[in-house]
Amino acid sequence: MQHDSVTLPDPATLHPNWKRDDHLIALLARNARDYPKGVAMRERDRGIWHEITWPRYLDAVLCLAAGLEEQGIKAGDVVLVTGDNRAQLYFAMLALVTLRAIPSPAYSDAQPEEVLGQMQRENIRAAIAEDQEQVDKIQSVRDRHPELRAIFFDDPRGLESKAPAGARALEDVAEAGRRRLQVTPGLREDLISRPSVHDVAVLLHSSGTTGAPKGIPLKHGHVLAGVRNAAAAGYFHVGEEHMAYLPMAWVGDFSFSIAAGLELRFTVNIPENQETALHDLREIAPTLYFASPRAWSSMLTRVQVGIAETTGLKRWLYDHFMPFAVRLERARLDDRSPNALQRLWHGVGEAVIYGPIRDQLGLRRVKRAYTAGEAIGEDVFLYFRALGLNLRQFYGQTENCALAVAQSPEDVSLTTVGRPFPGVDLRIDEQGEILLKGDNIFDGYFQNEKSTAETLRDGWLHTGDAGEFAADGQLVVLGRLSELVHKADGTRFIPTWLENRLKFSPNIRDVCVIGAGKDFLSAIVCIDFESVGHWAQEQGISYSSYAELSQRPQVIALIRDEIARLNAAVPETLFIQRFVNLHKEFDPDDGEVTRTRKLRRNVIDDRYGAIIDAIYDGRDGIDYEAKITYETGQSGTLTRHLAITDLPERRA
Amino acid sequence: MFYRLSGIHHTRYESARALWPVPADRWQVVALAVLALAAPLFVSNLYLGSYILPWLIWAAAALSLSLLMGLAGQLHFGFAAVMAIGAYSSIHLVRAGVPFELALLGAGVVSALIGTVFGAAALRVKGLYLVMATLAMQYLVDWVIINVPAISGGAQATLRTPAVSFLGLPISTLIERYYFALGWAVLITLFFMNVKRTSFGRALVAIRDKDFAAAVIGVDPFRYKLMAFLTSSFIGGVTGAVLAFCYYRAVTPEQFSFNVSIQLVAMVLVGGLGSAIGGYLGAGFVLLVPIFLTNFIAGLGESGWIYISQNLMAHLPLIFYGAMIIGFLLLEPLGLAKIYDNIRKALLVWPFRHSRS
Repeated sequence: MQHDSVTLPDPATLHPNWKRDDHLIALLARNARDYPKGVAMRERDRGIWHEITWPRYLDAVLCLAAGLEEQGIKAGDVVLVTGDNRAQLYFAMLALVTLRAIPSPAYSDAQPEEVLGQMQRENIRAAIAEDQEQVDKIQSVRDRHPELRAIFFDDPRGLESKAPAGARALEDVAEAGRRRLQVTPGLREDLISRPSVHDVAVLLHSSGTTGAPKGIPLKHGHVLAGVRNAAAAGYFHVGEEHMAYLPMAWVGDFSFSIAAGLELRFTVNIPENQETALHDLREIAPTLYFASPRAWSSMLTRVQVGIAETTGLKRWLYDHFMPFAVRLERARLDDRSPNALQRLWHGVGEAVIYGPIRDQLGLRRVKRAYTAGEAIGEDVFLYFRALGLNLRQFYGQTENCALAVAQSPEDVSLTTVGRPFPGVDLRIDEQGEILLKGDNIFDGYFQNEKSTAETLRDGWLHTGDAGEFAADGQLVVLGRLSELVHKADGTRFIPTWLENRLKFSPNIRDVCVIGAGKDFLSAIVCIDFESVGHWAQEQGISYSSYAELSQRPQVIALIRDEIARLNAAVPETLFIQRFVNLHKEFDPDDGEVTRTRKLRRNVIDDRYGAIIDAIYDGRDGIDYEAKITYETGQSGTLTRHLAITDLPERRA
Repeated sequence: MFYRLSGIHHTRYESARALWPVPADRWQVVALAVLALAAPLFVSNLYLGSYILPWLIWAAAALSLSLLMGLAGQLHFGFAAVMAIGAYSSIHLVRAGVPFELALLGAGVVSALIGTVFGAAALRVKGLYLVMATLAMQYLVDWVIINVPAISGGAQATLRTPAVSFLGLPISTLIERYYFALGWAVLITLFFMNVKRTSFGRALVAIRDKDFAAAVIGVDPFRYKLMAFLTSSFIGGVTGAVLAFCYYRAVTPEQFSFNVSIQLVAMVLVGGLGSAIGGYLGAGFVLLVPIFLTNFIAGLGESGWIYISQNLMAHLPLIFYGAMIIGFLLLEPLGLAKIYDNIRKALLVWPFRHSRS
């Protein structure tokens, strides 16, 4: 089944500047020829890192390709690939690419139904699975997708002599392929020359939060353009040590571990399994490291827990040097460089605290540390920069190989995501939507012309994200365009963007920013009972309940400071000028938030209408009659006085 | 703090089993090796000949005993006798015209044979009873050496060591003797560290921990206990010969008396049972600390800072020395090596308390 969603007679006309033989397999063959001793991959197996050189890499890919062809995989076939990162799965993906078939990776933790949907939508006839678990998952839905002919698996454990019909070990396939290569002269060269830059190299998928996931085919030319743009701007260097621990179905893994790995000759290190990834990270000490904001945050927690239980002297040193470095880093982001004495003291801290912690985390050799995907907390961002990691943010989607916009080492800032890569055009249209154009932008969704037409207009990728340019020309990503609302004077803002930044504070559990159609912004704040309660105990503030704690003047002042800090970082038009501490947390049982703690604004607007009115009437407090539903099912009301607090309207 | 563990990965099991997989440890070893090799350049002859040279040889002796006591768990309170056999054997062999290289081997073989005969008691008895058996060896050997003029040359005689050369290199000047002793100490240290990683070493450890449990898992206690005595006595005997030729240069029976056996046991216990670095730390402590304490207290007395009677002067260092041994063993019953190990481990996980990954 040929991929032909973008119906153009000759794909070459779409990208006339791409050279036909500039594809991933040619790069692999080049590396094998020019760097026969170079280590392309390390895979950890029972504590030992097995090294795979470039010639062995090429050999493994070609054997698999020859074997898979014998098994009936043809050009244009879409093949499911599922499992955790394994060298054999990378080989298999490239073997498919060699045969001009299309690998379609699925997340290893995807539900059977999701895998079934993917197989049905893409008419998948063959699957490559990591182990027995994945084979069983595919097998469980196979009766509803009888078109699936073959399953190839990497790890035979639990499948020896018990493999379901049509399942074969990849090793056997590779062995058959090796024999075929030996008896067929010229097959190697033929295989290497088969792919074209215009072939689809991988079929990735959108997250599918709304409706079925959309297939996103990326061609050789797209990923290579993305990688080369990034390399040209210095975001990747040749020969990086890279840790392939992120899911293979995520665009970043294809871009980093395969495309950049081949083009820039990375050593791709594959951990033993997901559970040991952090330990294995330390054994490798990569030079390039990407982690989601959440992962950075949990790494910070890991350090803090470790420090909390360490001995007094070490904790004392940490408590002195870490805040010192954070202060210096904050000053550096404000373009104030440290004086000689501070630099000297920082050197002491480097020997005593920063260096050892980087070593403990396995980040000692990281030259380029990145995060992307969502906003990162200021504390986390500053912490790791203070630790001596050049942590930077970038911005991209699957549609542009995740390589579109990034911060350069000089202009790092917390709120922006940087400038577009060379070769990527960026503009923001009248609605405030971020548009991107370049060779790394895909050519359209898989068999979905409607979505393609919506997303790709005149070659511009409509990201669906709202953005703006900061004063220094860097891009600020505000959030999803669909969440954009306007103040009465027409100022655009995205409540979630402000809310997420407020929620980085441990004292704020939930917050709802209000202001659509109003003159100014205001906020309904739910304090974090645990964190604020702990703080209140330390301060000697008495309270008997959440409601009482939330209305303590000291607590209100605490929240006021948090909001003032956000106000200091946003334009004056986005200042939150009034807020109220709510007497209870938003509760999914009351319908105010979803189970995943996303706000349901209409419920909040409805239920707390009286409070919102009081805020915009300029009152400084409200006696709010709270409806309470008891567990018995009865309901009653309880009157609470809620204080409304003002913040300055302009910058001091 | 100074250790960096990130980036250490093994592509073969052989490298994972290396003696020093951590670079910081390798650097320490290299630094020590350079210091030891260059010592004659910056250490005065007095210190080199009276402190460092005996320290190295006694450390080798302590390691020989540690092989038996620390790894195999067999107590031995007559190790000085083993060394005496080695010393006297080598001298008589050299005097009989046997080359020094072969004489060293002969000393080892004689010590190993006699040591094993007495060690055979260990096949039947353990603990205090074994102590008694080895004490008997000490006294028997002492008696034989003193009372057989053919060995000692007479009750009060002193046997001078003849001039020798090793593999064509003469061993007569202090520097020559120092390098020879250094070479022997390094050889024994490497042997000791590697034995711990072999099946032989693991079998010894199994016997130490519980000999009948070791028998259950297929380690023959009979064979391995004898082999432990054989190995330990062999290198102990050669070390005795090295001690005689490189340090004493003239041997008398008193040099290998019961006191010396007790000192050797003290070296092993204070240093840390079954630890290579413990051998050096223990030998250093037992040999050098009394000397430093004596010098220190004498210095205090001479400076007029405190008044010490001549009588007290002789005993005060011993009092402090005894207190230090008790103090160290109370603080860390597993010896000085364990203190070093604790510090190293704390630095390995610095600034945390446990490993984080």
